[in-house]
Amino acid sequence: MAQQTPYSDKRFLILDDQAEMRSSLRSQVGSLGCEQVTTAASVRDALQKLSVSSVDVILCDFYLGGGTDGQQFLEYLRTRRIIGRGVLFIMVTAEKGYESVVTAAECLPDDYLLKPFTADTLRQRLERLLERKRRLARIDQFQDAGNWSGTVSACDEIIAARDRYLVDALRIKGNALVQGRQAESAIAFYRQVLSMRSLPWAKLGLARALQQQGGADAAKQLLAELITEAPKLTAAYDLLGKLHQDSGDSDAAIEILDKACLVSPNSLARQRSIAAVAEQKGDFARVEQALGQVIRKTRHSPLRETADFARLGNAYCEIGEAGKAVGLLEEARATGKDAAADPLLAAVEAIAQRKAGNAEKAAAALERALQADPAALTDDAALNLARACLLAGRQDSAQSILRRLVQGNPEAKQLHARITAVLRDNGAPELAEQLVADSIREIVQLNNEAVRRAKAGDVAAAGEMLCEAAHRLPTNLQIMANAALVVYLDILRNGLDSEKLRSAQGFQQAVQAQQPDHPKLAEIASLVEQIRSKYARSE
Amino acid sequence: MQFVDLAALTVHGVKNRLAILAARAEARGDRETLRDALEAAATLSRLLACYKAEKGQLAADIGACTPADLVGELVAEVRQQTALTISADLERAPELWFYDEHLIRMVVRDAIYNALRYARRQVVIGARTRAGWLDFGVCDDGPGYPPQVLARAAGSWPLSREGTGLGLYLADCVAALHCNNGRCGRVELANTSGAAFHLLLPE
Repeated sequence: MAQQTPYSDKRFLILDDQAEMRSSLRSQVGSLGCEQVTTAASVRDALQKLSVSSVDVILCDFYLGGGTDGQQFLEYLRTRRIIGRGVLFIMVTAEKGYESVVTAAECLPDDYLLKPFTADTLRQRLERLLERKRRLARIDQFQDAGNWSGTVSACDEIIAARDRYLVDALRIKGNALVQGRQAESAIAFYRQVLSMRSLPWAKLGLARALQQQGGADAAKQLLAELITEAPKLTAAYDLLGKLHQDSGDSDAAIEILDKACLVSPNSLARQRSIAAVAEQKGDFARVEQALGQVIRKTRHSPLRETADFARLGNAYCEIGEAGKAVGLLEEARATGKDAAADPLLAAVEAIAQRKAGNAEKAAAALERALQADPAALTDDAALNLARACLLAGRQDSAQSILRRLVQGNPEAKQLHARITAVLRDNGAPELAEQLVADSIREIVQLNNEAVRRAKAGDVAAAGEMLCEAAHRLPTNLQIMANAALVVYLDILRNGLDSEKLRSAQGFQQAVQAQQPDHPKLAEIASLVEQIRSKYARSE
Repeated sequence: MQFVDLAALTVHGVKNRLAILAARAEARGDRETLRDALEAAATLSRLLACYKAEKGQLAADIGACTPADLVGELVAEVRQQTALTISADLERAPELWFYDEHLIRMVVRDAIYNALRYARRQVVIGARTRAGWLDFGVCDDGPGYPPQVLARAAGSWPLSREGTGLGLYLADCVAALHCNNGRCGRVELANTSGAAFHLLLPE
């Protein structure tokens, strides 16, 4: 009875809201000799099962009922890294149409299986897809680990073999070049692919690479062209929307995102992007419309995000509906997992409670928000927390939050403008003019002073200064990189110290993860090499 | 809600029923019922695709595909549904070709169901390269196409009661969506040892 097949040891998860379809699929999978089959009736059920044990293959129906669909589920799994790239995700659907819209390459299922299908077809398809996974396993591992240069060389091996996985490898290689910020190589690579054939994914990749290289106008033109050619490639609309937004044209950004909504009306991610653009533009009625939809669909679902509630609550405040905001935010706090400790939610609640005239509740919410680790605040959380402090008359707290935000992001001009606006609009116009400039000056002075001391030979003191700043400002890569450099230098000159080594490695990895092409990484790597050979020899 | 959305939802519901029916029939080895269920589902897909084609909403999502896999799957699928001999001719099949896997599968599957109605003993399904074109062929040993079908002008297929004309109309539409370097796909019909259907896709 026990059939030995390439898939009989695989663990399956079947997700379908219809009981009959679940049992039909289960017996088809069972007839192939697979015994480890779990079924789930809802996304919640499926997530629960995935949290208990991992699976190799997911068979998911596109229509899941209750406002959710298989694509949303897949995007959730991939963006939260709940499943690795090695897990096979097969979307089961009756028609390939709306389902096949493309959000991002990594949120695509491995395959679509059209109903009805026979067990025999399922068997052949599984064999083929598992063979593909095996062939791409090393690439998948590199990708999961964010090792883009490794990904590129693993792709090159397959490209050289010119077998049936050639185009898969080309596609992944392009993406890896972009992810690794090798813009020039990526542009040359995509142009070469496009010279062989006009492929939508290659045009999209080229647009990404052009954007990275600073060629926003060329990227926009290419994307407009691509949207006409491949109107279902929604990732192209998303990128074009982002480019418009970056160049300050929020109207064009919203227009293009609206078009994408016509192509794929159910995307939660897109409604969130529309809300973000509308928020910056100050169009809070539009924020309400977009996030209202998201919350209606996700309120009772595991796909819900606390940030949606916070931003919708903020939009209600802005359109003069503080009472509604309070109701929504209190609901979010009471019902959301971990929502009570969410600093953004608490900061927005503090603002809403104050506007609704509930001073005590406002003070309590502000206290909750201020308990969060300041180094871990998102930009939005920090800005709203600063607003809440200003409204409560706690100008000192607001200043220290905003100073840290500037110093963590000394190059982010758009963020600086938002910081200035927060101060100006919340009763501190005199600070608005200086805070950004002063904060930048302060951090530049600290950096220069540390460099001066290091050059003068006092690397230990320089290291201490930079480490303190690096822990406080984990997004300031110049500080992080200099901290790594100086601490490694200290180790090289003054001897191995495991604590120092750990902290230097931490800074180095953080820079590597946030900006793999950071100019100081090469110098850091060569120092590490010197340390290794020095202490290896002395052993 | 637009008609096309309503139709898609209805098709989804009906296909769920057909999927359950087909799975049951397959499990007990009931070839006739399996074929009826699968062919009925194929008819629904064709209807929806024709509607989209008419509204200008039929678009090809072209990617790199393996023709031998497509033919292999269809041959295995059809063998379960008939007593006729179904064979694959893949000797000159290319490793990769660019097309919309689902649209092409639908067109070739329709051609196969048509062949099953007329074949005496066998149907051969093949994929081969032919001077810069990929040729999906479906050949039976039946009486061949009637003269009015062979003499047709493209896009004006005579409709028969079995819906053959609809299938050929759709095959034309799908072929025309596959263009590269100024060349577009096309359908060729011939009578050789029976009816020979060829779907040609440019390199």
